[in-house]
Amino acid sequence: MEFFFDIFQNTIDQFTNPKKRVFILYLFLSILIAVAWLIFHKKKSLKESIKFIFNPKVFFSKSATSDYKVFFINQIIMLLISPHLLTQITIATALYFFFFEINFIEMGLFASSPKYLIVSLFTLTHFIVDDFSKYIVHRWMHNWPFLWALHKVHHSATNLTPMTVFRTHPLEGLVFTLRSAFAQGVTISTFVYLFGGGVDLYTILGANLFVFFFNVFGSNLRHSHIGIRYWKWLEYVLISPAQHHLHHSIAKEHYNKNYGAALAIWDWIFGSLHHSEDTDNLTLGLGTKDDQKKHTLKELYQTPFIESFKFLKRYFIKVFLFKKINKNKSEIYYKKSPQ
Amino acid sequence: MKKSKLKTKLLASITCLSFGLTGLANAGAHSEDVYGPFPVTLKGYSGDCTNTVSYSGQIARHVQHDSLKHLSTKGDYSEMNSYYSGSDKNKQIWAPASKDGFPIKQTLLNDISSGKNLSGKTYKGTITSWPNNMTGPEVIDFWMSKAESNPKDVSVGLNYQQLLSKFIMGAVFYNQAVDNYLDEKMEADTKPNDKPYKDGACYTGKEHSWDEAFGYWGAAAHSLLLSAEQNYNVAKKKDLASADFNGDGVVDLKSEYVFAHAYYASSFDKGGKTTYLEDITRAFLDGRKLITSANGEKLSDMSRARLMAYVDDISSNWEKVIAESVFKYAGSTYKSLVALEDVSNADLAKEFDKYMKYWGELKGFSMALQVGKNNIGETGAKLNRMVGFGPMLLDETQIVGIDVNGNYVMDKVYSMNDAKLHMLKIQKLMIDQFGVEARGNDMLSDMADLASKIGTSESAEND
Repeated sequence: MEFFFDIFQNTIDQFTNPKKRVFILYLFLSILIAVAWLIFHKKKSLKESIKFIFNPKVFFSKSATSDYKVFFINQIIMLLISPHLLTQITIATALYFFFFEINFIEMGLFASSPKYLIVSLFTLTHFIVDDFSKYIVHRWMHNWPFLWALHKVHHSATNLTPMTVFRTHPLEGLVFTLRSAFAQGVTISTFVYLFGGGVDLYTILGANLFVFFFNVFGSNLRHSHIGIRYWKWLEYVLISPAQHHLHHSIAKEHYNKNYGAALAIWDWIFGSLHHSEDTDNLTLGLGTKDDQKKHTLKELYQTPFIESFKFLKRYFIKVFLFKKINKNKSEIYYKKSPQ
Repeated sequence: MKKSKLKTKLLASITCLSFGLTGLANAGAHSEDVYGPFPVTLKGYSGDCTNTVSYSGQIARHVQHDSLKHLSTKGDYSEMNSYYSGSDKNKQIWAPASKDGFPIKQTLLNDISSGKNLSGKTYKGTITSWPNNMTGPEVIDFWMSKAESNPKDVSVGLNYQQLLSKFIMGAVFYNQAVDNYLDEKMEADTKPNDKPYKDGACYTGKEHSWDEAFGYWGAAAHSLLLSAEQNYNVAKKKDLASADFNGDGVVDLKSEYVFAHAYYASSFDKGGKTTYLEDITRAFLDGRKLITSANGEKLSDMSRARLMAYVDDISSNWEKVIAESVFKYAGSTYKSLVALEDVSNADLAKEFDKYMKYWGELKGFSMALQVGKNNIGETGAKLNRMVGFGPMLLDETQIVGIDVNGNYVMDKVYSMNDAKLHMLKIQKLMIDQFGVEARGNDMLSDMADLASKIGTSESAEND
C-alpha cells in the first residue's frame, strides 16, 4: 500500500515540485511563450494559436501516448531501484576525503571570501558543471553503439511533447542518475573543501536560480511542436527549442548536432552547433521505414536492452579475447541511423 | 519577624502541597507507563513482599560511577578505588549530590544498597582498543593509577576523568545489561520464571534479571511520563518537579533520577530526530509486563520469542546511543583540531584542555561500543586505528604503546591533517555501520544540506 502511495506521490511531485521540468507553472509559462510566438512571429490569431498548441493529433498521437506510458512505468522502476543507486553525497564524501590527502590543497583556502561571492560562484558553477556533463553524456549516448541502442528510445518519438523528456529507457536513466550524482558530488565537495561552511545555493522556489530561469523561459518547448527560434547570436550561447527539434530530425544534415541542454556554447566549442531553421516541415524520429512501429512497450523496453547487451558482448570479445569481429547488421543500421 | 516566619511556613506548605498533589496526580494518571510496582507472581511465596521490582544494586553502581567520576579530578587513587573496587557501605555519595532547588534523598551508598562494587561487574575480556592486552578492570586500574599523579596529563593529552567515566558506562552498565542479563539470563533454562531468582526472594528469575538490566539502563521509573527535555533536565538536576514523581519533595535516586546512557539518549532525543530513550524504556516496560503476565509460570516459546524481540530492540538502540556519542565527540574533536591551528598562544591552554576532554569522551565511548554483545569486528579495528591510543599533540606525536614499566611510548604516525580526516571518517563509519540519526556536531552536514537543496540526483529524463 505504501508502495502505491509512493508512486502516486512521486508522480504528483513531478508536476508540483519547482525543481522538476514539468512543474505546472513552467508548463503554463511555456504555453504563454508559445502563444506569444505564434501571434507575433507566425501571425496567427489567439484562437488559431490555442488550437495549434493543443493539437489533439500531437497529444493523442501514438508517439505521445507511448510517452505517457513510459512516464508511469519509469516512475515505478525508478522507485524500486533508486535506493540502490550511488548518490551525490556518497561521491561528494569520497572526494572530500580524497582532498584531505592532497597536501598542497589547503582546506578552507577561500573560506574568507564574501558570502555573496561564494554563493554566486557555487550557484553558477553547479549550473555550468551540470549542463556540461549533460552535453558530454548526451554525446556519448549518440556515439557509443551500446548507449545509442538505449538512447534510440528517446529518438523514436515521432511527435514531441513536454512528456517526451521522460521517454527514456530505464538503463539510460541509470546513466543519467550517475551523471547527475557525479556532477553534483564534484561541485559540492570541491566548494565545501575550499570555501568551508559558507557555501550555499541561490534558489527561487527551491530551484537553482539558473535552472529556474531555464525552465521559466520555456525549457518545455524543447520537446514540443512549437519551433521557437532565437536570434543567431543568442543561439551560440543558449539552445533554442528549434535547435533541439533539429536534433530530433531525421535529415542527414542534422545528424550529430545540438547535444546541449541549456547552453549552446558546448556545441559551439566542440563543433556540433547547428543554428535553427524553420521546423514546420521537419520529420522527427529514427528515419527507419517502420518508425510508427517503435512505440510499443516491447520496442521501448526489451529491444533496446537486448541490442545494447549484444554490443557490450561484442566489445568484451574484442577487448578481452582479442577477436576480430565483422560488423553485424545492427551496427550497420546504427551507422545509417540519425544521431 | 513573626510575620516573615509565618510567610515562610506558608510558602513551604504551599510548595509541599503542590509537589504532593503533582505527585499524586502523576502516580494516579499514568501508572501503566511507570516501571513498577509489579505484583508477586512467584508460586508458593508467603512473605510480606508486595512489589517485585528491585534494582537498587544497579543504582548503587551508577552512584559509584558518578562519585568516581567526581573524584577522578582530585588525583587520590585509594579514594577512587574505594568507589571502584570497594564495598564500604558508609561511603559518601559525591555525585549526584543535592544542590539548591534539587534535594536528593540519599547521601550514603548504604542508603541505596550495600556490598556492591563496579570492579566485579566490569567486562573481563581483552580490551583491544587499548595497548598491552589488558582486561577491562586492568585498563581502569591503569588509568586510576595514572590519574593519581596527573588527572589531566597535558604531556600525552589524556583526560582520565572522561576516559574512566565513558568506558565504565560501557564495560559495566552496557555490558552487564546486554551481554549478561538480556543475553544468558534470558535463555529458557537460565533463571527460569517459575523459580525465585535466589532462595527466599519474592521475584522470579526472569523478573529480576529483567529489572537488573533496566537498572543498568539508567532511566527513571517514570521516564516515559516525561519529555526528552525533562529527562535531560532531571539528569542535569534542573527540574525537581519532573524528577519528584511521588511528590515527597526530594529526589529518590533509586527510582526518580536519570543516569548514564539514558541521560545521553535524552540529550540526543531532545533534538527531535530520535526517540532512543522512549523506545528503550518502553521496550523494558513492555517486556516486564510480559514476564509478569506469565504469572509465575515458565515462559512459553511464544512469550520468550516476544521477549527476545524486546531484547533486540533494547540492544540495538542502546548500541546506537553509544554510536551517536562516538559520532558527536568525533565532531567535537575535529572542531578542536581546527581551532588549535588558529588559536592564539593566550588561548592555547584553554583550547587544548577542551581538545583533551573531547578526545577522552570519544575514546571512552568508542571503547564502550566494543564491549557489548556484538563483536563489531572490522568496524572496531577501523575505529581503534582512527581514534588512536591518545590524541595527536601539536608536534604531531601521539601515544603508540605502553612499555613494560607502564610509561607511554610516543611517536609520529601521521599528520594533523590525517587526524582531522580520521574524525570525519569516524562520523561516516557511525552512519554506515550503525545508522546514527541524531548526528550531533555533524561535520559533513554542509555537504548533505547542499545536496538536499539541489535535489535528488535520480533522473530518468532526457534533456
